Order: sequence, then structure tokens, then C-alpha cells
Amino acid sequence: MFSGWNWVAHGLYLLWSICSLGVSGGLVQSCGHIIPESPVLTLGSSFTALCILNESCLDFGNIYANQIIWKTKNRVVPKEQYREINRTVSSVTFNDTSSLANPLTCNILADGQIEQNIYGITVTVGLPPEKPKNLSCIVRQVSKLAYPMTCTWNPGRPTFLDTHFRLKYRWPQENFPDCIPKDVNNSCMITDVQFFVNLEVWVEAENALGKAESDPLVLDPIEIVKPLSPHNLSVNSGILPTVLKLSWENRISVAVMKLKFNIRYRIVGDTNWMQVPPEDTASPRTSFSVQGLRPYTEYVFSIRCMKEDGVGYWSDWSEEKTGVTTEDKPSKGPPIWRSIAASHSPAFWTVHLMWKALEPFEANGVILQYEVTVRSKSSLSSLAEKYHVNTTNLTLKLPNGTYEVTVIAHNRVGASPPSVLLIPASNSKAPVKSVRTLPKDGKLWVGWTAPNSYVLKYVIEWCLVSNSSDCIIEWQNEPGNVQGTYLKGDIKPFKCYLITVYPLYADGQGSGQSVKAYLQQDRPSKGPTVQTKKVGKAEAVLTWNHLTVDEQNGFIRSYTIFYKTVDGNETAVTVDPSKTEYTLSSLTSDTLYTVRMMAYTDEGGRSGPDFTFTTQKFGKGEIEAIVVPVCLAFLLIVLLGVLFCFNKRDLIKKHIWPIVPDPSKSNIAQWSPQVPAKHNFSSKDQMYPEGSFTDVSVVEIEADDKKSFSEQDLKPFDLLKKEKSTSEGHSSGIGGSSCMSSPRQSVSDSDEGETTQNTSSTVQYSTVVLNGYRDQTPVQVFSRSESTQPLLDSEERSEDQVGGGDSTTQRQHYFKQNGGQDETNTDRPCFERTKQIIHANEGDLAGFAQLQISGQSSQPLGLELEKNTQEAALSDVLQASTEGQTVRSETVEGNTMLVDEMPKSYLPQTVRQGGYMPQ
Amino acid sequence: MAAADNTSAALRRRDLCSRGIRLAGKMRSDVIDLLDTYVERQGLDASASVASVEGVPAAAVERWDEQTGTQRLLENLAAYRAFRALLAQMLEEQQEQLGEADAALGRALAAVLLQVSAFTYHLEELLRLESRGPPSEEGAEPPPAAHLSLFERKLRGLGVLRELAQWAVRSTRDLRQLAKPSPGSSSAASLAESP
Repeated sequence: MFSGWNWVAHGLYLLWSICSLGVSGGLVQSCGHIIPESPVLTLGSSFTALCILNESCLDFGNIYANQIIWKTKNRVVPKEQYREINRTVSSVTFNDTSSLANPLTCNILADGQIEQNIYGITVTVGLPPEKPKNLSCIVRQVSKLAYPMTCTWNPGRPTFLDTHFRLKYRWPQENFPDCIPKDVNNSCMITDVQFFVNLEVWVEAENALGKAESDPLVLDPIEIVKPLSPHNLSVNSGILPTVLKLSWENRISVAVMKLKFNIRYRIVGDTNWMQVPPEDTASPRTSFSVQGLRPYTEYVFSIRCMKEDGVGYWSDWSEEKTGVTTEDKPSKGPPIWRSIAASHSPAFWTVHLMWKALEPFEANGVILQYEVTVRSKSSLSSLAEKYHVNTTNLTLKLPNGTYEVTVIAHNRVGASPPSVLLIPASNSKAPVKSVRTLPKDGKLWVGWTAPNSYVLKYVIEWCLVSNSSDCIIEWQNEPGNVQGTYLKGDIKPFKCYLITVYPLYADGQGSGQSVKAYLQQDRPSKGPTVQTKKVGKAEAVLTWNHLTVDEQNGFIRSYTIFYKTVDGNETAVTVDPSKTEYTLSSLTSDTLYTVRMMAYTDEGGRSGPDFTFTTQKFGKGEIEAIVVPVCLAFLLIVLLGVLFCFNKRDLIKKHIWPIVPDPSKSNIAQWSPQVPAKHNFSSKDQMYPEGSFTDVSVVEIEADDKKSFSEQDLKPFDLLKKEKSTSEGHSSGIGGSSCMSSPRQSVSDSDEGETTQNTSSTVQYSTVVLNGYRDQTPVQVFSRSESTQPLLDSEERSEDQVGGGDSTTQRQHYFKQNGGQDETNTDRPCFERTKQIIHANEGDLAGFAQLQISGQSSQPLGLELEKNTQEAALSDVLQASTEGQTVRSETVEGNTMLVDEMPKSYLPQTVRQGGYMPQ
Repeated sequence: MAAADNTSAALRRRDLCSRGIRLAGKMRSDVIDLLDTYVERQGLDASASVASVEGVPAAAVERWDEQTGTQRLLENLAAYRAFRALLAQMLEEQQEQLGEADAALGRALAAVLLQVSAFTYHLEELLRLESRGPPSEEGAEPPPAAHLSLFERKLRGLGVLRELAQWAVRSTRDLRQLAKPSPGSSSAASLAESP
């Protein structure tokens, strides 16, 4: 505990000692110092510093050199770099000063715990100056008497130190004050130098680490002068139109130096300078006449100077001055050409003369007018017509022939040589051959092969071919000894030019040879628009229009057609550029195709819009090949079916709608005693032999009933029979006895046979009982029998004949009977009608029996039987029932007047013309 | 070795003569310009007659063409040493009189002084090449001007400049004469002509 208090007291004492020592010796007095004090060190060198403690501190604070700690910017220097020289001196060594940071401090560790700074220094690190190199000087004249000299040099590497450069100069016998650069370290200007005495110049660089001097430069300043350029330049026109005289003032005394000059000049608007030969201006002067200039041309002049012997520097070019040469007469005649158009009169030409305005260097002044002389070479008189025009063209209407045209240009000074153009009656001379073009250096070169004859000159005529503008002719002349030239005009790229070359001879002219050319080609601006002309199953005919010349941008070398399906690969076909149609083949049927077309020039192609089309599902004739056989087959099948039906009609009838024989037409009627003779009909006898009757009903006929059949009633039937033999086509109206029969079934002999056949099948006939209607006494009663005797068609036919014959009285009679019946009865089944028959009155039945007998007797049966049967069947099939109803209605109306006359014959049966007739 | 030295000495002499001639020409030109400025600035009459300047040998000399080269050089050297002292005195007086107000005149005087000094160097070098060496500058001091009035100083200054202009002409001729190949010299090089 006590020792601890001692430590604290000792430390406080030490601090008090240090502080009191510092204060007692002055404002600040430290316990030591560092040697060297703020040194400047070479970058990369080694450095050793010493910290020396004051003896007084040793006495008061018990501090020694072994307690010293070195720091660089608060960073402790490793102990390995320390060395205790004695009890008051400690050293630190740095092998490389580049890593040395400021400040470097010497510190003491009092009693091993409290660190106290003793002293600190700032170390400056840098490099000594390098020897300045590349020293050079120039004397720039700034006024007539002021010649400052500026010297520049390379100061060398950065030194990181404050380095002073001095430009030193001296005469051998006299020193001058140094030139100290301002703000820079690589140049200095000496305000005034004296010529003709050698001056020694050098540069001295100095900093804290050393001094360096450049190699001395010994020179006479007069040898490095850059004089001021001559001034007050003036240009005056001379007497000659090709001369301009320049005058100027020199700004350097001849006593200082003799000068030589450069004179340059150019035409206003031209960028290229021309120069007067230097040897012509190599001597001191203040004026010069420039020769060889163009008349009436504005020139720009400029001049510079330097020391006559060429030692030194050229001055800057002087300010530019312009001057214009005087006019001279035109040096040549204007180039002339013509175009000839047919006039309204075939004997005249419209000659359009055109000539080019002379270039300024040819006109040599302002062209006031042109004198055009046209002389006919054809006529003997050879009179010349003169025209004075201010324009560069003249249109004349001349008779056909050969002419010589002369054009002369006039300016203020004089006239040009004449330009002559021979216009022959025809271009009969040899033309040039092999006209060709070649783009070159942004211009279009035209070449040709000269004809064998001597050519005076050539005229190259060209125009821009465009859809939007006319072909405006431009032209140029070329001498006869050339076979190629560049077109002198504004030839645009991507435009088509039609170029024609005419050879002009002394006595005529050759026809023009033309060629089309492009200065530069490009891809077409658009592609062809393709569309289909015709689309088939596997092919499509594509058609397109040629691109216009404005769209081509070059020669169309080829077309390429690209086509593809929706999911297929694209196929390309190359097409000749002359074509406008192409047929795509091997396409897939019923497929959507997309087609586009590209037009190619030498520079590439461009595609037109897409076009889609769908190939057809069937090829040409395929549908016909399918449909026609199918139709034929169908018709054949129908026909066969029809034939089959006819062949099997009986069978069909039997199974589907068996014929129910009409009892009223039964042969049993023939048994009636009133008509015994009818049964003598031979055919019936054959057809129905007596032996075939297996069952015969007994018919009781009252004698009174015979009265109901008067002779008058029977007469019409006789007439009918007669007519039947001659007119078989008349409808009987009774054919409807069969269920298959149409009401309008035509009755013929064949029906009879058919009926005969059909009724050959076993049909149970009911017994016919003649009974009175509604309690009236029946005339005749038929009872259905079990007989299989066929229903005789002859009976039906007889009825038909009655209905269709001319015996209207008879027919009307029967119609009256059915007039009040519902027409729908015709559709009733056969058995219903049979019941109606039962209610028929006796008189009617008797009459009907007569009718059948007469019909039978009048109808021959034989070879026509089958044929008529078929016809009747066809009629059944084809005739519509509605038609029959219509006719029937009319018939009913027509018979209304007979009701009163024959009320007894009215029967509730279906009545229709040609239909089932009631009994 | 001796021949080489002779050749080198001849080239050196030739170069010194050539540039001396051109320097004399420029000096004359500048002095003439300075004379105009001086007359104007000092308010003098350009036609004022001035007596010969004390201490300056007269430029005009009889039997000039009979003089030897060394004699010419010595006379020139004496004259230009005197001009150098007089011009330095004039420059000092001008600065005292006008201060920095007329810097252009001071610069022109300083420039002429430099040229005189440079020409003096040329002459000394030529004399060295003559194996004679330049004489000492004792006695070249200009007479004190303290006793002169301001106007007299101005007139003296005018006289100095006029005499210098004349000496420039004579020096040119002297150097041309010197530049001509001497009978005993192997160097036959023709010197550059005067400007």
C-alpha cells in the first residue's frame, strides 16, 4: 500500500518536473530534440535521426535514452530500428524514406507507463532536379523593334519539392540577369535580345536536394527569328488580264535581316492554294506581280517572309487580300448540240439548238450575247441566217436538209472563236461500238470503241430515266481522240441513266449508241407484289408486275419466289427478271401457302408483301370424274329398281297391297240372264272356263227388275264400245276399282289383261244380294263368294270406257250416282267400297252390268295385254292423287244438273272421273 | 596543327567581321530611330547643331583607305568604348530625369547600349585574333557631366547618338575592309556582304 502511493507520487513529481522545466526555460522548452531538424531527404534513401535528451531531464525525471519511443504519424517505429547511442541519445534508422510519414516524433515512456512526447520533426522527401533537356529558343518578333526570345526545355521528372528553374544567358564578356519562369517550369521569355552576338543560354534547376544545369545553347538570336508577316498587302490589276500586282510592307528592318517571301493565291471559292515559285521571291522586296492568272477572275492572295538565308522561321501568313483580273475575250466557243423533233409538216424539222454557257475561265468576262448562224448546206445559195440571242438555246423550224450551225459568244472585250455543228440530213455515218459504263471515284465513266473513220468529236448525251419525270437531256462534248470520259454532271446514285454516244464527223454524224447505267446500285426500294392468277390442286400460277425504274435502284438481276406452308420450310425459286409469271408446282392440295417475292440487284434484294393462297382440294376434272359415275350409278340403280319393281309388281302387290277385286265387276254379272250373249266372248271363255268355277252363288233376279234397264240406257254403251275400239287412250273413270289404281287411271286393253292376271289369285267374293235401298226392294243382291275366279278386267274396262267415252249421257248417269258422296271414299279400303256396293239400288247395278258386258265384248285381249298393264302401273306410280281430286271436283260440279233426273241412281260411293265407279 | 589553327582563326575572324558588319548596320538603324525618339522626347530640334562630343574619336578620318586593319580596329574600339560609357551615362541621366515615365526611350537607349557593347566585344575579339589583344580600358571613362546643364546634357546626348550613327557607318566599312582577304592570310573566303 505504501509502495503504491510512492509510485503515484513519483509520477506526479516527474510530470511536474517536466512541466516546470519547460516553463522555466522559456515559453516551451522540451527535454530533448531531434537531429536533423526538418530534413529534406531523397526519395528512397536511408535516413537516421537522433533524439538527444537534455541532461536536466535526466536529473529531474530519471529518463534515459533507452526509454525513447520513436513514432511516425502516431505509429510506433519498430524497436529494431532504434539504437541507444548513450544514455541521452537514441537513434532511429529508416532504410527507405519513401515509407516515412510525418511527423517523426521522439517520445519517452516515463516510469514505463506514461508516454510523453519529447520532440518532433517534419521530414520532406523528394528528388533532386534532373538536368533540363531539349532546350530550344525562338525569337518572335512582336513589333518593329521588339524581339523577345522564348526558350523552352524539358524540366525532367517531378521532384516533389519546390524546384526553381532559371534561364541563364550571357555574352562572352557580359552577363545578363536570369530569366525566371512565371507559373511554369519549362519555358521563359527574355524580353529583348541583341542580334549578331553569340548568346550562351542554359537552364539551371535547383531544389533542396541539388542543382542541375542543361547543356548550354550558343546562338545568335538573329538565327532564330520568326518575323512578323508583311502587312498592308494590296492587290492591283495590271494592264494585262492575266497579271495582278501585290504590294506590302515589311515589319522588320533590312538592317536586322534580309527577307525572302512566299506568295500564295487561289481563286475565290476554290480551296486549293497555288504558290508563286519561291525562287522568284527569294530576295528582299515589297511588291511582286503575279502572272499567268485567268482573266476576269477573283483571286485571294497571302504572303509570308523569313530570313533570306533560310535560317530561322517563316512568319505566319499575312492577312488575305483579293483582286480581280481584267476581262479578256472568250477563249473558246460554246459547245453546241441539237435535238431534232419531227414537225407537223414532214418536210420540216424542229431543230432545237442548245449550247453550254462558257465556264468562267473560258468566258473571260461577262457574256453579253450569242451569235448563232445557220447555213443550209443543201441549197445552192447557201444563205446564212443569223440570230442574236441571250439564252443558250434556240429552236428553229427548218426544211429537211443538212445545215451548219455556228455559235459565237461575245463579251465586252471581244468574240470567241466559233463553235461549229454540222446537222446532216441523216445520221448515216458509222456509229461507235461497245458503249459501256463504269462507276469510278464517285463518277460515271463512259467508254466506247471508236469507229474506223476519223471522228471529229463525240457527243455524249444522257438523261435520268424516271417514272416521275421526263427524260431531260444533258450532254457534253469530247474530243475525237478519246474513247472514254467521265460524265460531267450531277450523276446521282441509285438512278438509272440512259447514255447515248454520237460520233461527229467532218462531213456527217453517226447514229447514237445507247446504254443504261447506274452510278451506284442499291437494293430495290420495294419488292414485287405477287399474286395468284390461277390456283389449282398442286400448282399455282403467280403473276406480278415489274418494279418501276424508280423502285429498282439498280439492274434487276433476278427474282426469287419464296413460298411456304404455315408450318413448313420456305422454298425459294429463282426466276428470270424478264418474267412476270411463274407457275409453282408440286404443291400440296387444300393447303394454305404464303408466298412472297424478292427482287435482286447487284447490291441485294428486297422482299415484297406476303400473299397467301390456298390450293384446291380437287384437281381439274376430279369432281366430274367422281360425280358423273356416281350419278350414273345411282340412275342405273334406280332404273334397275324400277324395272325390278315392275317385274315383281305382282308379288309386291300381293304382299303389300293385294288387289281386292271389285265384286261389281265380277264375271258373275255375266251370268245375268239379261246379257247371256256377253258370255260368249271367246277370250273370256278361254280365260274362265266353266270348269274353273268352283263355287257359284245363286243369284235371284226378279223379273221386274229388268225394266230398270231400258233400251235407252243401253244404247250409250253400244256407242261406247265402238269408240273404244278406236280410242284406247281415253280415261274410263272406272279403273279405280283396284286399290292400286289411280282414280285417273287410263284404261286400256292391257288393263284388262292385267286385271285378269291379278285376279287369278284367290279372292273370296261375297255374295251379292240385290236388295232395295233403305227398305226399297233390292234389284239384285250379290253375296261374296268363295270363288277364286279372277276379277275380269274387261268389266273394269267397260266401266272405264263408259267414263271416258263420248256417251256423256251414260257417264253422267253414273256420276250422278256418286255425286253426293264424300270424295274421301276413294281412299277407303276396298272392303268399304264393297259395302257401299251392297247399298246400291238395283237399277244401277243392272245398268252397270250392261256396261261391263259391252266393254268386254269390245275389248280384244291378246298381245297388248302385258304392255298396257305396265303403262297402267307407271301411271299409278307417277300420278299424284291431288291432281285426280281436282279433276274429280270439276266432274262433280258438271253433273249436278243430273241429280233430279236420276235420283235413284245416287249411291254413297266415291265418284271420280276415271275412278272407282259405283254400281 | 598550325594550319588548322589558322583556318579556325580565319573562320572566326570572318564570322566576327560578318556579324560585326550586320550589327553595325542594325546599330545604325536603331540609333537613327532612337535619334528621332530622343529629339522628340527631349524636346530638341532635329536640326540643332551639336559640337563634337568630347572623348569620342571623330568618325571621319583622312586617308581612311591607308589605315591598317589593326589601326582600324583600335580606333573603332576606342570610339565604341567611349560610346558605351556615354550611353550608360545617358541612360542613367534619362532614368533620373524621366524615371519610368518614358520607358520606351530607356529601353531603346539600353538596346543601343547593348549593341555598342556587343560591337565592342566583336572588336576586342578581332584584335585578339590579330594577336595583339585589346588595350586596357583606362582613359575610356567619359568626362564628367556634372558641370553640364540639363540642356547641355540633352545636346550632348544628341551629339553622342549622331556620332554613333556615323561611327556605325564607318565601322561597317572598316569591317568590310578587314574582311577582305589579307595578303598574308591563307583564307580567301569571301565574306558576307553588307546588309
